[in-house]
Amino acid sequence: MSTALRSKGFIALALLPALILFLIFVIVPIFWSAYYGFFEWKGLGSAKFIGFGNYNEIIHDRIFWNALLNNLLLVASAIVGQIPVALLLALVLRRNTLFSKFIRSAVFMPMVLSTVVVGLIWGYIYHPQFGLANFVLEAVGLESWTRAWLSEPHINMLAITVPINWSNIGPYMVIYIAALQNIPSEIGDAAAIDGAKGWRKLISVTLPMIWSTVVVTLVLCISGSLKAFDHVIVMTNGGPAHSTELLATYMYNNTFHVYRYGYGSAVSTVIMLVSAILIAVNYAVTRRRNA
Amino acid sequence: MKPLRKLSIVLLMLTLILAACGESGGQKASSTEDGQGSGEKVKLSIWHNFSGDDLRAKTVRGIIDQFAKDNPNVELDAQAIPPDGYRQRLSTVAAGNELPDIFFVYAGSQSAELFKAGLLQPITDIAEQHKDWKEKFLPGAFEPYEFEPNQIYSAPIGMSATSILYYNTALFQKYNVKVPETWDELMAAVKVFNDNKITPIALGNKAPWVAQSTILGTLADHVTGTEWFKNAAAQKGAKFTDPEFVEALGYFKQLVDSKAFQDGANSIDNTQAEQYFVQGNAAMMISGAWTLTNLAASASEEQLKDIDVTVMPSIPGGKGEAKTISGGAGGGMALSKRTEGAAKEAALKLIYAISGPEAQKAIAESNSMVMYDTDIDQSKVSSLYYKAFNLVKKTAITPVYDAYLSADAAEVINNGLQEIMTGASPESIAKKLQEAQARSVTP
Repeated sequence: MSTALRSKGFIALALLPALILFLIFVIVPIFWSAYYGFFEWKGLGSAKFIGFGNYNEIIHDRIFWNALLNNLLLVASAIVGQIPVALLLALVLRRNTLFSKFIRSAVFMPMVLSTVVVGLIWGYIYHPQFGLANFVLEAVGLESWTRAWLSEPHINMLAITVPINWSNIGPYMVIYIAALQNIPSEIGDAAAIDGAKGWRKLISVTLPMIWSTVVVTLVLCISGSLKAFDHVIVMTNGGPAHSTELLATYMYNNTFHVYRYGYGSAVSTVIMLVSAILIAVNYAVTRRRNA
Repeated sequence: MKPLRKLSIVLLMLTLILAACGESGGQKASSTEDGQGSGEKVKLSIWHNFSGDDLRAKTVRGIIDQFAKDNPNVELDAQAIPPDGYRQRLSTVAAGNELPDIFFVYAGSQSAELFKAGLLQPITDIAEQHKDWKEKFLPGAFEPYEFEPNQIYSAPIGMSATSILYYNTALFQKYNVKVPETWDELMAAVKVFNDNKITPIALGNKAPWVAQSTILGTLADHVTGTEWFKNAAAQKGAKFTDPEFVEALGYFKQLVDSKAFQDGANSIDNTQAEQYFVQGNAAMMISGAWTLTNLAASASEEQLKDIDVTVMPSIPGGKGEAKTISGGAGGGMALSKRTEGAAKEAALKLIYAISGPEAQKAIAESNSMVMYDTDIDQSKVSSLYYKAFNLVKKTAITPVYDAYLSADAAEVINNGLQEIMTGASPESIAKKLQEAQARSVTP
């Protein structure tokens, strides 16, 4: 037996436990949940088969579309607010000086905090009576800008994107720094000889070199925003009156507050479909640009 | 270095997963063995939500600990689960038919669903062993737990009084305002406090049941009367689109429009609102008996002495009785259908220990209302609680909305009140509530 074959066999064997766990806890439940979506089921007692009834109801539910819009808003804010900022910080802080190490840790810090803590902190920052946000605005003479950040519809969803972006920039920055440090120094030298510097160098040399990393972070960003849940549950619980409802909180509330397990399962299946579509679109777009 | 680190992480995760599997497997094994071995150690599991630091939680935990000490043959596995996630945890294990032997249930739709799913067994045996125990409960105490005639499935160890009007006497005196007994007086008070930059009524409606449970229940009952509400909940001869209910929602909207609540009431929680009120930023707060417990645990005696309690003001021409408080039997301990034999005997003993006369008195003396006729020692409770205890004792109780509505409809009215607070019309909310309740009553 050749060593290559043996090592292939070994790789397969070593992957098996993880694969089995993945199958049991990820793949199988996805199909189960799609299956439960065809039932009217309260979680207790018997389930009633209703075909596409739940899926039909989802399509006609205003709250679902609002939740989807909110999720897309999160995706947009993540792509605009996390990726470029993280990239910029990575470019500025890529050298291993003490100062940039300090700033790097500071940017990464929110990631270390549990999202529940982040949610609570920002809940207090946005507090309508003694929150920091309103206090600062009043201190600089912008009384007219003060508001109940988390309870005014139209504003509260934007207010929520801030802590989410704030806590997610750190890991992307670290990924970019790693990618930047992996660019061989010869390439930088060659670019310098060719006279490329500043923007030119960034766009023609650096970005193409780390493009595959950018694509990966985009996928992480999109899927992360689509399954966003914890910050919102802590800060607003999807309220007031469903105005900050996300797909995940909508699914959770239907399943565990209203006890409509079948409907909740159908919603989670739809969430998966939406994510798959968005990520496919992302791949298509970034691949074309790469070619 | 790197592969080694990766490997160690994978190993760590595997260990955690295996450990988690092992634990749940062990639990399962323990409850199936319960039936056998009468002379040997009996395994008993109990889940409750008395996990907090307040007096009542400590009292109930103390009773359970005492039981474990007095009964060395019982191996008690007691789990205190924080109230916020308790319903969900219970529903989840119920769906998997893995309920513990004894568990705390709330009165209302959840325990009814557990009964319908065949997961409960009656605890009537306790009432037969202790004849005078059952009679000392207040009227209506067993109403939510009599799923079958002459059988009780739980005994309330609390009473929910959900709409007590708390007010700050110092602020009322300072601005020379009369404590409102009628709607017009309430509106006048709201205006005076607003003019003086004091929040008239503190409200923390982030978890949206608050406005429904504390304000709407009593407000609507005053307008429509209890009879109408029970009919509408059953969808027999009354609908939530009837003009009297739209009128009741209109009164709520009137409160919103006259800026009775502080800004952003929908984004702060009930505890924050309690703090806001007790610090003297708001003149009134409409809240349940749980606020007594919270204030007793967190506020200073200095702050408490300014606070008094009364009932919500009456509505001109309302069909309901004035001067009532919405409320009902609180939660109690229920017994799993799967618990048999020696474990069942021990379980019934424990349920009696938690809901018997001594426990009821102890709970009442931990600044928490009970549905049981007992006398409390004034020196053991806070002055505010003593006032409220006597207020509730002589006041008629009317139904809380979400105890009678389906989970679906309760969600609709909870969110509907938030919608009214952000500009929706009472008519549209009444229509949504009617649709939701009709859907769940006639499937």
